[in-house]
Amino acid sequence: MNVIEINNLTKMYGKSRGITDISFHVEEGEIFGFIGPNGAGKSTTIRTLLSLIYPTSGSATIFGKDCVKFAPEIKREIGYLPSEVFYYDNMKVKDLLNYSASFYKKDCRKRIKELAEIMNLDLNKKIDDLSLGNKKKVGIVQGLLHEPKLIILDEPTSGLDPLMQQKFFELLEEENKKGATFLFSSHILSEVQRLCNRVAIIKEGKIVTVEKISTLKENTYKKFKVETKVQQDPEYFNISGVNNLTVKDHVTSFIFKGNINTIMKKIADIEITNLWIEEPDLEEIFLHYYEKEA
Amino acid sequence: MNIFFHELKAYRKSTIIWTVSLILVTLLFMSMFPAFARDAEEFKKLLEGYPEGVRKAIGLNLENLFSILGFYCYALSFITLCGAIQAMNLGTSIVSKEVREKTADFLLTKPVTRTTIVTSKLLAAFSSLVITNIVYIAAAAIIASQVKTEDFSLKLLILLSLTVFFIQLIFLALGIILSVVVPKIKSVLTVSLSTVFAFYFLGMLSATSGEEGKRYLSPFKYFDTAYILKHSAYETSFMITGLIVIVVAICASYFVYTKKDIHAV
Repeated sequence: MNVIEINNLTKMYGKSRGITDISFHVEEGEIFGFIGPNGAGKSTTIRTLLSLIYPTSGSATIFGKDCVKFAPEIKREIGYLPSEVFYYDNMKVKDLLNYSASFYKKDCRKRIKELAEIMNLDLNKKIDDLSLGNKKKVGIVQGLLHEPKLIILDEPTSGLDPLMQQKFFELLEEENKKGATFLFSSHILSEVQRLCNRVAIIKEGKIVTVEKISTLKENTYKKFKVETKVQQDPEYFNISGVNNLTVKDHVTSFIFKGNINTIMKKIADIEITNLWIEEPDLEEIFLHYYEKEA
Repeated sequence: MNIFFHELKAYRKSTIIWTVSLILVTLLFMSMFPAFARDAEEFKKLLEGYPEGVRKAIGLNLENLFSILGFYCYALSFITLCGAIQAMNLGTSIVSKEVREKTADFLLTKPVTRTTIVTSKLLAAFSSLVITNIVYIAAAAIIASQVKTEDFSLKLLILLSLTVFFIQLIFLALGIILSVVVPKIKSVLTVSLSTVFAFYFLGMLSATSGEEGKRYLSPFKYFDTAYILKHSAYETSFMITGLIVIVVAICASYFVYTKKDIHAV
């Protein structure tokens, strides 16, 4: 069963672009990544799913029900963690979480305690006094306390230190094992790669591709920078799978997609003075997708 | 109900402050009454020296100013002004508070309809006003009975005091429609003060002109205290107008809010 199904969803802000003709689906039990640079339309898509904003055309269903018509009913089983969390300041963490829990018709007290312990969150503090990272933790507990079937995360890791991120990911994996489905929006490829089964890549309001992470990993993109003693002929590295090839003085750089052995042999055949192999950042991968389209 | 109680709790402080302020204003005015009544004749002569337009604008009515209820009517015009600000603040902040404090995302991703949210918040604001008025009217009655020089009708005092509540309801409704139509209200107080004072001065102007029809322009003029003193009743046509304003504003607010896009911050 598909937990989320988005069909030709379009949202315009007046005349400016929000998202255009977006379609993809999220299957039950999967962790679905949703990546793209800032302003690509990730939040717009998510906010439409949550009926915070209404689509200009197209539709989306969650649990098989229209996300606008059945919004309150659907939201009983959704946990949402926004990228920026702001909560009623003049409240204690405990009060806010209890207020949040009061919207769901179940006893969440035990779960709140468990989650607070895992995330190392002090329930008796005032929200005013919390640091950004701690506010984020409140957001996480708030999003998970009713044990939702679908968890929507909009750039959830910003503000969390690496240790907390680790704990947070473990928590998500645990929820996933219990059967929860995730829509995980991010602009950080590595965290998406770590968690997700499939990803949709969005750019300028349009879905560029929906791929399995395993496929993405098969065609791993690597960023190469090779420094040679003499200036290298650009044509030497111009083989299939090489993109964005530039030669500047003695340094040749490019992005490579394909069997890594091929390129390593090429490099081994020439005299090099230095070599960097890096994971390309998202922008560079986008560049790649962008060029492929053109 | 959880939203209702949460909101009511959030209003607790402001409700107490406004109630106390209203009572203090009343106390301040009414404590002057005994001295005022003693030298009634001289004051009358003095006030007659004012041009009629000015007297009308500030709501001085020489005929009954020197009875305790007449004097109370004069105080009321300031109390209504304060009350209107309180109500307008409440109304304006109902929706705009969520946007400003960025909590709209929290509330609107909960399994509740937007209609429920508006209803709960509106009811909480309404309750805050009801509490204010119950305490206020009780206090006003006690104050009046302390400073009275002769007996007065409690029923009339209540009828007069209730006009504060009715005007508050109108401003509450105006506030909420404003807060759903205006995309982002940075400061509730600026918006509510300017609206309330605009209507207040409009009311003053319409009073000086003496034209009956112009009274419909300002909610402050929907309740003529002199009429209430004389007939122990409200003017039906203005009651209906007030009611229409409230109903239309609130229905429109529901309509706009349920259709509105809630943007990220």
